[in-house]
Amino acid sequence: MIDINATLIAQILNFLVLLVILAKFAYKPLLQAMDDRRNRIINDLDSAEQTRLDAEALKEQYAEQLAGARQEATEIVTKANQIAQNIHDELVEQARVEQEAMMANAKERIEQEKQQALLDIRTEVIKLSTLIAGKIVNQKLNSEKDQKLVGNIADDVLDRR
Amino acid sequence: MEVAEAAGEGVIHYLPVELFDGVVINMQTMYMSWLTMAVVAVIVFAATRKAEIIPSGIQNVVEVFIDWLNGLMEGNMGSEGRRAAAPFVITLFLYLFIGNEIGLLPQVGAHLTSPTNDINVTLGMAITVSLTVYVFGVMRNGLGYFKHFIQPSFLFLPLNLLEELSKPTTMALRLFGNILAGEILLIVLYKLAPWVIPDIWIGFSLIVGFIQAFIFTMLTMTAIAPVFRSHH
Repeated sequence: MIDINATLIAQILNFLVLLVILAKFAYKPLLQAMDDRRNRIINDLDSAEQTRLDAEALKEQYAEQLAGARQEATEIVTKANQIAQNIHDELVEQARVEQEAMMANAKERIEQEKQQALLDIRTEVIKLSTLIAGKIVNQKLNSEKDQKLVGNIADDVLDRR
Repeated sequence: MEVAEAAGEGVIHYLPVELFDGVVINMQTMYMSWLTMAVVAVIVFAATRKAEIIPSGIQNVVEVFIDWLNGLMEGNMGSEGRRAAAPFVITLFLYLFIGNEIGLLPQVGAHLTSPTNDINVTLGMAITVSLTVYVFGVMRNGLGYFKHFIQPSFLFLPLNLLEELSKPTTMALRLFGNILAGEILLIVLYKLAPWVIPDIWIGFSLIVGFIQAFIFTMLTMTAIAPVFRSHH
């Protein structure tokens, strides 16, 4: 049963033939395909990781920009508020000054009008008084001396008032 | 021993034929070896006829085995060793695996035996492995590779030679004994109890066939590994 014979040599040749045929025509393409797939998966994973990192960087950049924009917007609004407040204060001040000037002007004019009116009244009173007195005393008080006297009296009266 | 041998002679036929003077070939073994080679070749070519980046069908099945063996090779002898030895180890495993299982197919119309039930085949394979180790060793380290026979000192030469001879011998005998015993027991069981029991034994033998092919392949890797590890 355990006869070692030429079958041994034949088997070695058999196997070598099988090995050579398979190695040459079958394993090369298959191992190549498996290696290609392996490399491709590794590449894909690498590029996916790279893309993820890029996206992360972009996201960070955007967040930074957004924060910057927000900061800027806040500054702009603050500045605008400041400017508006300044304008408002200026206008109020201007209005106040103008109003005061107008008030002073009006007071002055009122005073002038008043003086004018007093003068007019005085003249009118003198005329009336003279007329009335003249009519009353008729002939007796029409000399210049009399006129003057009456004026003095009239002034006395007006000043007393 | 003689009784068992006689029983074996009665059930296992190698069909020895004397082709020339003193050149005897076991034709049954040869036929089955060729059949095994054909099956392996058909499966591998079917899987690689158009190897795709995205595998499907039989390419997937073959790739599962190749991936598994590649992983074992990578772990045992590094990536350089894997690249060099992959075709040899994969072919070896597929041949032994198919060869071990082919004798368990239903014996309808043809007398199917495992080529590995012949000591000539298993010893031939074991010797092939030893020679392959030498070839890799010389390719990688030059003739200086054989210096390891006299290391750590030349006194170890007989011991190293003994080891060098006993390794293939044990590999061959382990595979041969397992497969031959499985087939003999199967035939005996058919004669004792033709129903159910032989089927259970066939199921067991299928596992044994896989494990023996795996053990032989694994020992081959560990035999090749030192060649690729010595330089590091």
